[in-house]
This record gives sequence, structure tokens and C-alpha cells, in this order.
Amino acid sequence: MKKFLALFAALVLCICCFAGCNGGGGNVAPDLDEVDELPAFDTSKEVTITFYHTMGANLREVLDFYIVEFNKLYPNIKIQHEQVGGYDDVRDQIKTEITVGGQPNIAYCYPDHVALYNLAKATQSLDTLIGSTQTVTRADGSTETIGLTEAQIADFIQGYYNEGREFGDDKMYTMPLSKSTEVLYYNKTFFDKHNLTPPSTWDELEALCAEIKKIDPDCIPLGYDSEANWFITMCEQLGSDYTSATGDHFLFDNAENHAFVKKFRDWYQKGYVTTQELSGGYTSELFTMAETDKGNSYMSIGSSAGATHQRPDKVDGAYPFDVGITTIPQMDANNAKVISQGPSLCIFKKADPQEVLASWLFVKYLTTTVEFQAEFSMASGYVPVIKSVGDNAVYASFLESADGGDAISALSAKVCLQQESAYYTSPAFNGSSVARDQVGLLMQACLSSDAAGDVDAMIAKVFADAVAECEYQAG
Amino acid sequence: MSNINKTMAEKDIRLVSSKQKFGHFLGQFFVYFFLIVMAIIVLFPFYWMLISSVKSLDEYRLAVPTLFPREILWGNYVTAFNQANLGTLFLNTLYVGVVSTILSLVITVLSAFAFARLEFKGKNTMFAALLATMMIPGELFTITNYVTVNQLGWMKTYTVLIVPFLVSVFYIYLLRQNFMQIPNELYLAAKVDGTSDLKYLWKVMIPLALPTLISITILKMMGAWNSYVWPRLVANDAAHQLITNGLRNAFTDASGQADIPVQMAAVAIVSLPLFLVFVFLRKYIMKGVSRGGLKG
Amino acid sequence: MVESKHSWKAWLYLAPAIVLLLVFTVWPIINTVRLAFLEDYNSSMAIGGATYEFGIRNFAKVLQYKDFINCLTNTILLCVLTVPLSTILALLIAVCLKQIKPLQRALQTIFFLPYVTNSIAIGMVFAAMFNMVGSAFGGENELIITAGIINNVIEFFGGQPINWINSGSAYWANIVVMVVYIVWNALPFKILILLGGLQSINTQYYDAAKVDGTRRARVFTRITVPLLSPMLAYVVITGFIGGFKEYSSIVGIFGEKMGPAGDPGRLNTMVGFIYDALAGDHTGRASAAALILFGIILVVTLINLQVSKKNTHY
Repeated sequence: MKKFLALFAALVLCICCFAGCNGGGGNVAPDLDEVDELPAFDTSKEVTITFYHTMGANLREVLDFYIVEFNKLYPNIKIQHEQVGGYDDVRDQIKTEITVGGQPNIAYCYPDHVALYNLAKATQSLDTLIGSTQTVTRADGSTETIGLTEAQIADFIQGYYNEGREFGDDKMYTMPLSKSTEVLYYNKTFFDKHNLTPPSTWDELEALCAEIKKIDPDCIPLGYDSEANWFITMCEQLGSDYTSATGDHFLFDNAENHAFVKKFRDWYQKGYVTTQELSGGYTSELFTMAETDKGNSYMSIGSSAGATHQRPDKVDGAYPFDVGITTIPQMDANNAKVISQGPSLCIFKKADPQEVLASWLFVKYLTTTVEFQAEFSMASGYVPVIKSVGDNAVYASFLESADGGDAISALSAKVCLQQESAYYTSPAFNGSSVARDQVGLLMQACLSSDAAGDVDAMIAKVFADAVAECEYQAG
Repeated sequence: MSNINKTMAEKDIRLVSSKQKFGHFLGQFFVYFFLIVMAIIVLFPFYWMLISSVKSLDEYRLAVPTLFPREILWGNYVTAFNQANLGTLFLNTLYVGVVSTILSLVITVLSAFAFARLEFKGKNTMFAALLATMMIPGELFTITNYVTVNQLGWMKTYTVLIVPFLVSVFYIYLLRQNFMQIPNELYLAAKVDGTSDLKYLWKVMIPLALPTLISITILKMMGAWNSYVWPRLVANDAAHQLITNGLRNAFTDASGQADIPVQMAAVAIVSLPLFLVFVFLRKYIMKGVSRGGLKG
Repeated sequence: MVESKHSWKAWLYLAPAIVLLLVFTVWPIINTVRLAFLEDYNSSMAIGGATYEFGIRNFAKVLQYKDFINCLTNTILLCVLTVPLSTILALLIAVCLKQIKPLQRALQTIFFLPYVTNSIAIGMVFAAMFNMVGSAFGGENELIITAGIINNVIEFFGGQPINWINSGSAYWANIVVMVVYIVWNALPFKILILLGGLQSINTQYYDAAKVDGTRRARVFTRITVPLLSPMLAYVVITGFIGGFKEYSSIVGIFGEKMGPAGDPGRLNTMVGFIYDALAGDHTGRASAAALILFGIILVVTLINLQVSKKNTHY
């Protein structure tokens, strides 16, 4: 057994010698934002572009169709795309591939993924590309400006577009592809029967919950799917601090935030509201339960992309109730704030600038082509990122068909498009996903913990712990 | 021995055995009771997998899960079969599984033999060091190994799926324990006869350790079936993709959420061959060592 | 023993294993140790060109983590509870499986089925068995939609339902669920190994015992256990090594928050800590934690080896 220890000691010794040399290689590819002039795009040279995403079979079909269309314009750009898994799988895969420079050209991303890739200086900022006035002649004879025109930029729903610039250095890193948000689903049949109006503010919601509890004491009036979204959205609606991309990152431990969390704790304890983690099941399933069941909900706040899960199963060929959809409750109904979620696209730096240019042309094609945006949205349940899709005949008739039953996805898309000015985005930095996780866990703890008489003290402690955890995990 | 003595003795045995019989019966009852209770506990998840594979996504998400599907959707199996490229996935996995099992067995047998039978300088230190490698969480190896195989130029090949995990200290240790049970006298006798090490290994050790070798085969095959993180990193292209990678996240509903019931159906389909392999190999494990020679 | 002139032969037999281990195990370990001593090493930033000082701050950071003791306690508690329990159960099942005649094949096959059961299905079963759905558990407005299968059984026998894993659940209840889950997970492997081991025991010993009319329990303690001791030692030692690395089973029940809703991290373990650090790209910190864990496992294994040396009969 002594040998065991001797061996270990020897190992440690040899490592200490090793450790002298520092880690880190820095095989960083050139940054197109730092070159004096963007090189011209060579349409005669074949380039292959890899694209990582999370699309299921039905969306891949749409993508494949539009790749063919894209190739009619740029036959020299070959697109290889791959479904890597879920969003986290894409992030983990790319994070590892960056270590040997094997990352793809384009990837589905959330802002915190890009903040991570940026630590390795791997993503290409897009400002030079967006601002470029160079033109390319396409295979069909038409010409295209490399950058975005003012009309094209104005066509994006602003909240979605601005997400690309939330990294604290005022540079643009991502382009929105397709988005979702949170909406309030309510049991329209029940609301009509009892003459209730869907709430537009949190105060109205509180009164409404009390009223619903009187009608059906055995219910939980509202299910809120995501605790983290709830917290972050409240910060935005109140104008209180959440996080910052620069300076002190974790600012959410403040009096305003303590106050709203305390109010929601009261609601939870009264049985007005529950969340996914606290209820132990999907909140959409509480919403779709029969009215006669114990513990059902009459309102549900969840992703606009999951509308079909908020629809009850048919009984004898008919939906037991009609679903209504509206904007989530607000602090100030005239200055609404709703979260924006869903994938954006980022482009990685490469040694060959032609690859980066080709990637950009494809990203631009996907994000600004009305037909693609329309079809992709209808297939996915997400909403388009450009406003002009509303004028597209096919998409317009899709929205036209909206109802609370078979065409519930259209109804949800319609509500999303109506609140286009309400989208906000949160700062992205190394640690922003930790903050998001922590405020979600904080909500769970504050709502459900045994306060032993002193609610304020409990809340203060939970907030302090959450900030400490954020700082430890990110620092 | 006289006849009288003999019958007396037989009587005694009969007396004892009738008393024993009742005890034996009671014992058997408890043995079966225990085994069946444990079997039900062990079977429950498997049952759950099967019923989930024929549920609709909506039913799967219910707040109060159903113990038996309200409606049986065989269509999940059709979807699973059509959507994923099950044939290629299966063949890739089979190839990787079989090749890595064979190579791994060879390496494991040779190493375990060296540790169990041969005397050499530094044997104990070496064995201790081997055990020590098991004590560091493997997740930390991933990045370094990724860089290594990239430098070796192995990305997107079968090699990268097979070679890095050929040596398992777990199996070497297991087989060494088994080999240690075989009396050394047999080896020494073989030496005197002039039998070579390899011949002795092949003729005596391997047959005697067959149950353990079969166990290792099963575990190694399972490994190929279940490996996920590493294959996804190094060879996730269509030509080399393994079954777990092909199935996880392959089935999604319109909004991109995993369609678990279809996934379960797919898993059930690909588990079937594995199950049959086990049923086939089980015979060999249970046949055991019929000839004498093992001390314990 | 065999003359040492055969030494080169031994190394020859070991050569393939050693070469592969050097490349794919030893080299990553050396790298791990190196990174553990580079202060605040962050793998992504290192690619971005950052450089790091040599020092022991990573270790200090691990020890300073507010829940470090909690991670350590959970790791040790789960290991100490599950390894003996699963070994004893597996041993009993293996021995019973060997001595029955009717149904032997069917039962052996059933105990193999967990291997071909998808891990998602296993997670779902536990949700159905232990998960409560409802709201405000333990509060005055408690509303329970379903209490889970286990609680249904408890209620059937007139007991009070227990909050096993949901918000407001007790630590002991969480641990009970984890022990059941981990033991359940560990059983098939241990049964397979022990069953294989039992087959290697010469039947003459049992025949002799039968003729002597030795009682069952005595056969078990005097013949089966000693003759199976090498395999038992193997199962226990590797069980402890694996047990100290417990992580994915906790994620299976509680998700990545590693605790019931409202008390995240309550059941976090050492490897859970390492995962968190790796996810945040704190590779240096993760490596330091891995070395601390290594130290602990090493000590436990040394004790185990000493104990088993005395009690193992080759």
C-alpha cells in the first residue's frame, strides 16, 4: 500500500513540473470586423457550410426545400446541416469542437451560448457584414447587397433584432430566426359562462383568482409554467434591476424584487397559483383537466409555441372547452413587457473569409425571406421575426383561421404578432444562464419554503444565497 | 458392513429427510416469494417503457399517469421505424459492439492472466495504479481525449468509437479475481509438462472462467448500445452514428419538444436484438463450470 | 512462485492494455492534475488566449464553496447506505436464482430486463411512484391531485401519505427514494457478476454438504460466501468506487437542481459539483475537486483492500 502512495506522490511531482507551462493556445481565426475592407464574395469558388440546429423531421423538410431555392441563387454554396440534439447538446458539442477549431459555420443559439463561445473569441460579430454596401451578382442575374438595407432592418420585430446586441460590447452577434414568447391561455367557455374577463394587469389577476376560487374552491386558478421567466418578466415590467452585461452582473437582490416575490408567495399559499416545479407536473396538464377534477386550472401561462399542449383532448369528437389566448398580465397595461425566446443564428469565425461571407448570405436568406419565415413558422408553432410575413397570402390565411380549437397554433401566433412592441431581451454574459437558473430556483424556494414566522427574513436569505451561488458559479 | 447396519442407516436417512422435506418446502416457498417480489419490482420500469411506447404524447404528459394506456397507438412503432434510419444505426452499433467486444476480451484476458498468474517486478504497484485510474470521474477525460483523437486524425471513423475504450480496468479486475480462484497447481503442472502459457490460457483458464467472460461480453455489448456522449462528439455523421445518438432527440413534435412515446417505441425495437442475445448467452453463463478443477 | 525471468512475458501480455491506458487514461489524468494547479483555469478563455498562474487557489475555491460539506456528506451517506444493501440483495437473489428449478430461466431473464430498459422510462416510473402533483404541500391550502403509486399503497393499508420528493419534503424521505433508486439501478450488474461467480464454485462442495445434511443457512455462510468472496470483494470495492461518483441517479429523480423544489442542491454530490464547475467552464476548479474526490476514494479503497485481503479466499 505504501507503493500506492509513493506512486501518487510521484505523479503529483511530475505534474508540478508540467504545470510550469501555461495552458492555452489561442488558435483564433481572423475577425472580419477588424479588417479594413470586406473581401469580395467569389461566386465561382465552391464553399461548404456546416449548420448545427435542433430541428425535428418536419422542420428539416422545410429547410431542405429552401436550401434548394437558395442554391438557385448561389450554386457554389453547399449547405450541410445536422440536427445535433437539443439546444444544450448544440452548445456542448460546439464548446468542445472549439478546442480543436472544429466548430461549424452556423449554429442555432441562445444568447448565453454566444456569451460562452465569445470567451474563446470564436463567434463573428456581424456589424461589418450588416453595414456592407458591396454587391454580389447572383446566379439568376440579379444583384444583392451583402449588408442589410434600412428597410430590411426596420422589417425585423425590434425586440427580436436587438437581442443580438445584448452582449455589453455594443456589437451585434446573432440574427433572430424564429421566436416564441409567453402568453396567457384561459378557459374561454368557463370565463364566458361566469362572465369573467381575462386579466390585463396583476391586480386584476389577483381579484380574478379570488373570484374563481369562490366558484370552484377545489381549483388552482393559474398555472405559471416557468418560474425563471416569471421573475425576469416582473423585473422588466417593474423596471427593477435583474442583471447587467457589464460591471456587477447580479443585481436582482433588491427591495422591489423582494416585494413582488413576497406577494406571489402569498398567492401561492392561498392556492391562487402554482408553477411546474412546485406542482410536480406540467401546468398545461392542470389546465386541460376536466372542471370536475380536483386541482384543475382555468388559466395557464406558458410558451406560445406549446399551444397544442394547452388544448384539452377531444371527448366524443368535440373539445370540452374553448381556449382563449391573450397577453400575460402586466404592471402597466399600456407599457406591456413580454419575454422573447426561441433560436437565433450565430456565425463562427473561420480562416477562410469566403466561408464567413457565404454563412452570412445564408443566414440573411433565412432571416429575411418572407416565404421561408412564413412556412417555418407554420410548421414549428413559433412566430416569424419579420413583420412583412403578415402580408404573405398563405400566412395571412393561416392567421385568419385562428380559433381556440383545431387552429390554436394560429391563435397563439396572432396574439404574439399583436404584441410586437412588447418584446424585451435580457443581457447576455458569461453567467447569464446561471442567473436565470438561480432566479427560477429562488422563486420556488420563496413561494414554498416554511418561513418559520418571518417571511421577510426567509426571502432575504434566499435572495442572498442565490446571488452568492451566481457569483460562485460564474466567478 | 452387515446388511442390518445398512438398512438401519437407510432408515435414519429417510427419517431425517422427511423432517428436512417440510423445511425444504417452506424454504422453497420463501425463495420463490422473495424472487417473485423482486422480479415484479425489477419488471415495473420495463412494463412502463412498453406502455409508454403505445401512449399518445398527450396521455404521456397527464398529471395523473395512467397505469394502462387509454388507447393503444401502435402507430408510434411505425413512426419510429420510418423516421429514424434504424437499419444503418443498428448495423453501425452491431459492428462497433462486436469488434470492440472481441478486442476488449483479448486485452482483458491477457492482462488478467499477467496479474493473476505471472510474477513480475512492480506487479502490485502496477495493479494498484490500475485501480487508481478508476477513481477519477471520467467526465474530466473527455476534452483531453477529444484533442488526442483529433490529433490522431480519427474523427468520424469507426476507430474513434472502438479504440479509446478497449481497456476497462473494471473487467481486468473482475477477470483477475476469477483467474485467482483457479488453483496455481494446475499452472505449475502445465509448466512441468512444457505447455506454453497461451495454450494453458486457452485450454484451461478460459473455459474455467467462461461465465465471467460471458458477463463481460454482455456488459461490453450493452456499452455499445448505450454510449452517448462520446460518439456524439466524435462521430455523429450519418455513416457512423450509433443507435442511442440516432434515437435521442430524433423524434420531436411540431414545436421541437421530444416525443417521448415514439422514442420509447424506438428503444423497444432496438432493445429486442439485445434481449435475444442475452437469452442466448444466458445458457452459457448458467452452464457454468461442469468439470472440476476450480477450488472455489 | 514462477521465476522472474518470465517478467518480460508479463509485460508483453500487459503491453496492449498499458499502451491504450497511457494514451486515453493516464494522459488525461496528468492533464487533470495540471489544470487543477493552474489558478482559475477556464477552458474557453484559454482557447481565447488567456494564461494562468501555477498555484493552489482552485483547491481553496472548492473548499470554500458554501455547500461543499453538504456535497461530501451526501456522497458518503448514499455510498455507505447503498453499497452494502445492494450487495446483500444481489447476493440473495443470485443464490436463490441458482438453487431453484422451475421458473429458473424465466426469472433469470427477468432480472436481465433492466439492462434493456431505457433510462428515461426508469425516471418516469419513479415519478409515477413517488411524485405528488398538486399545490402548497403541507400548507393550509394543500391540494393533492395525485399522491403517487407508493402513497396510494400506503393509504390502502391505512397509512398517511408521505411527501417523498416534492416541495416541502423531508431530507430523510429524499434519501429513502435515492437509496431505493440507486439499489435498484445497481442490482442487475451485481446479480450478473455474482451469478457468474456462483457458477465457478465446484458443485462437489454442495454435494458434500447435502450428504452431511448441513442446514441451508450454514451452507450459505460456510460455503457460498467464502467461496464467492473474491467476487464479493470485487463487487464491494468497485461498488464503493462507483458509489462515490454518484450523480446521474440524483439528476434522474430531482433534475439538475439536485434537490426538491424550493431547496436546490440539497442532495448535491461531489461529482454534481464537478459537473457544475465543468458546465461553467471552470475546468481548473473541477479538476481540483476531482483530485480531492480521488484522495477520498483512495483512502476508502485502501481500507477495503486491507479488509478484503483478510477475508478473501482465493
